[in-house]
Amino acid sequence: MEQLLEALTADVYGAKLTRRGFVKAGGTLVVGFGLLRGGVARAAVRADGNAFDASLPQSWIEIRPDNTVLYRTGKSDFGQGTIYTAYRQIIADELDVTFEAITTVVSADTDTTPEGGGTFGLLGEGTPNIRKAAAYTRQALMQLASQHLGVPKDQLKTIDGVVYGGGKQVSYGELVKGQNLQLSIPVTGDLTSIFGLRITGDPPLKPASEMKVVGKSYKNSNISSKVMAEEIWVTNVKLPNMQHGRVVHPGTLGSHLVEAGKLDRTKFPNTQLMVKGDLVAVVAPTEWEAVMASWQVAGTTKWTEWKGLPGKDKAYDYLRNQSDWKAAPVARGRKNKGDATAAMKASAKKLEATYRLPYWKHAPIGPTLAVADYKVDGSVTVHTHTQNAQALRGQIAMMLGTSLDKVVVKTYSGSGHYGRSNGGNAGAEDEAVILSKELGKPVRVQWMRNDEMQWSTQSPIAFSDVRIGLDANGKIAGYEIDHFMPAFQDDRMIGAVIAGLPTMDAPSEKGRILNSISNGASDIWLYDTVANLDERAHGTYQIGQKSSPMAIGLRDHSMRTPGQFQQNFPREMALSEAAALASADPLQFRIDHAKDERLITVLKRLKQESAWETRPTPAPKATGSSTGVVRGHGVSAMLRSGTYWGCACEVSVTPATGAVKVDKYTIVVDPGIVVNPEQLKRQVEGGAMMGLSIALHEEVPFNESAITAQDWLSYPILTMAEIPEFKVVLLHNPEVGTMGQGSEAANALGASAVASAVFDATGKPMRQIPLRPAYVKKMLDARNSDTNKVPPNHDEYNDSTKPKTGTPAPSDV
Amino acid sequence: MLTISVNGKMREVNSSQDTPLLYVLRDELDVASPQFGCGLAQCGACSVLLDGQEVRSCIVSVSQAAGKEVVTIEGLPERWAKQKNLPSAETTALLHPVQEAWIEQQVPQCGFCQSGMMIKATELLESRPKPTVDEIKAAFTTSGPSPHLCRCGTYIAIVEAVRYASILMTKGEA
Repeated sequence: MEQLLEALTADVYGAKLTRRGFVKAGGTLVVGFGLLRGGVARAAVRADGNAFDASLPQSWIEIRPDNTVLYRTGKSDFGQGTIYTAYRQIIADELDVTFEAITTVVSADTDTTPEGGGTFGLLGEGTPNIRKAAAYTRQALMQLASQHLGVPKDQLKTIDGVVYGGGKQVSYGELVKGQNLQLSIPVTGDLTSIFGLRITGDPPLKPASEMKVVGKSYKNSNISSKVMAEEIWVTNVKLPNMQHGRVVHPGTLGSHLVEAGKLDRTKFPNTQLMVKGDLVAVVAPTEWEAVMASWQVAGTTKWTEWKGLPGKDKAYDYLRNQSDWKAAPVARGRKNKGDATAAMKASAKKLEATYRLPYWKHAPIGPTLAVADYKVDGSVTVHTHTQNAQALRGQIAMMLGTSLDKVVVKTYSGSGHYGRSNGGNAGAEDEAVILSKELGKPVRVQWMRNDEMQWSTQSPIAFSDVRIGLDANGKIAGYEIDHFMPAFQDDRMIGAVIAGLPTMDAPSEKGRILNSISNGASDIWLYDTVANLDERAHGTYQIGQKSSPMAIGLRDHSMRTPGQFQQNFPREMALSEAAALASADPLQFRIDHAKDERLITVLKRLKQESAWETRPTPAPKATGSSTGVVRGHGVSAMLRSGTYWGCACEVSVTPATGAVKVDKYTIVVDPGIVVNPEQLKRQVEGGAMMGLSIALHEEVPFNESAITAQDWLSYPILTMAEIPEFKVVLLHNPEVGTMGQGSEAANALGASAVASAVFDATGKPMRQIPLRPAYVKKMLDARNSDTNKVPPNHDEYNDSTKPKTGTPAPSDV
Repeated sequence: MLTISVNGKMREVNSSQDTPLLYVLRDELDVASPQFGCGLAQCGACSVLLDGQEVRSCIVSVSQAAGKEVVTIEGLPERWAKQKNLPSAETTALLHPVQEAWIEQQVPQCGFCQSGMMIKATELLESRPKPTVDEIKAAFTTSGPSPHLCRCGTYIAIVEAVRYASILMTKGEA
């Protein structure tokens, strides 16, 4: 046996194939990572909250004797469907099996899945790992087949799970039957960091021309299970003796607890009031009792006063004049060149403009929820819906002051939250753990809608100052932009902060990737003919973070395209305004300033697919004071993670009310390889509709103490009645590889196209979103000299064009 | 003790009579497809059919469901089987056409709102078998206590799926 094992230890492009022994029944080839690089640190939580693994996770891929395949991923599904469709397709092609042969997908539990890392950039960031895992596996199978068939490896070929050579054949399943085989592949990285582990080495990969499964519209198996009510959602998790917890969050974003309210024991005989630091909560055996008890306790709980926020109407002034923009180094654009200041001075025509984007909520339809089961031995299992289970595990271990091997995070389907938990937590997880530990029973914590609006993180507020100078030919001679945005990634666990327990450091100038206050130049410059370019990005502390006695304030977190939306909107809106200065067509203006062939192809195709009418902007009959309806069109472009996007839209504006209706929307995208056309189309539609929601409606209201949005009336989002005629055009471009980015970039792309269409229709630049009627009206009525100063000062959402909603109060129950 | 009819079965309920139907279905009866979204009848994630009419189970107390028929998506296949005199869905792999359409059109993304969306679609198609696009939009936006909200932005897919379901449900009819 020893000899055989030795004989079967082989090097596969730097991975190590071993036969661990023979088994009577079954058999598998398991592809995991070994300790090839040596010295894996165990169970040490580092100062930044990241850690190497304590107990080695399981395999990436398993080949089973019945010729089926199981694959595991540390990523989870947040509605992209990628782990059930595109990943399966990529693995199938690289492994040379059918899509159907991959029968099992195991995802995102820390005790059973490899690699970790956040669920974002699934195709662009994640494809190299799964391709390499599959490629190593196929090479190992060929190695086994070579010995089995007695045919040199270079004379073998694989088709649909069978190896052929020398007139003989053997299936993958037969190669592993009765054996316990392990393939250890080399990795690098940090399991509980936001990026997780990466597979190294260079196993031979298939060229795009040999892919058979990639490129077809396979259905998402997870969709069927949700539609047939067979899915196990995190909301369905029930444990024996589980209690329902509701948290009474502080009165303001800077309040300490003065006195917890008295629980009315006659009304709520089975409820317990729990206080830990400033964290106040109730737990009860039934959910309704917990909910009602939390309302009763909240009504009598006393908090210290705090008024450390500027309030929404003064937020942009505060940000410009009172935030410390010197605390973080200024980031510069990668393509900066020439002397933009000198070019500006020499320019005949100039645009100077300020663009503003408010805070948005991730606003999941279902509030954050977790079930924690803390055991007397100090171990804890957290059942939740997270984009980064390993990172959450590291954070929970840090809060408890325990080692990683004591913490398991199980991930289930849940309500999408679009980036909020890519650093681990979404809100309820740590609170569930704190309560479970105190109570000695499993506790399920679900936030109520107001907690979700008022205590979750948000996408950060931002503004940008743009200067564009045109030469005598109407071409851009110089372009300067300064982007201003507070820290956008605060992954501290809020329950831990309130309870006074350890969690990662707040964003600061000393922070690293997850808690830095630096801003980056994240919207890649597209218009390469411009000779003088200067892009600068400025960062600072979150608003209220330093003045809050709790170090809380308005906590920010990445959402979909963090930072890039905030930089793409000003750039693209300014480009359309510059086209107007040049009396040019805004789409052709972009093409004329581009050199990149992929961008030019996308924009030319956009022109054709959207039936774009080429003419100068604004429209010949543009007016902001008509009594009827005026129409216009707008365009935008974006490059994100190697994928090129173009968007054109048509709008109708009613100047008398400021109402904006988006009539038609066309998106052209070149994502490199289109892995699954139908899934990509749906992702683009969804992302674009959320982007339209942001463009038209979304803005987080807050006063000097707190976020004042509490529900869907005070934080309205897009409804079905508002969807435009919509067209997605996918440009399959196999030469450049798999770039992905379906719903994220589609989300960021539209706001500037809509705003520039309103500009085209009315002749008045729209330099801030959302384009709520009251704001649009104000911008239409502004004198030209005041265009940059239009104050964003109304709190009530009084859009009469929006469907009326009659909402019964909870007391009606 | 209260007895209510859920998906064609009589179920005994121990929860207090003021408990919202949603919590009774999810926590006590293990009928878990309606989701808690807002507790305010503002989103539609918790929608169920009550005697064929879409209601928000987060604001309907369980006592209000007494004597009426509660249907969730778990009960849609059997509802369709009864309406069409087909063999019971319990012994076949039957799906309601709305469910078939939701899969065929690959509607859900995160899917959290989709149970409520399918309930709304069923209510609409039972009263209006061949709705226009405007009627579909109106049903999901203005017909109930609030618009049905989807954060993933699947509204386009929903419109296409309702049209597809309409074709499936009216097949062979004049």
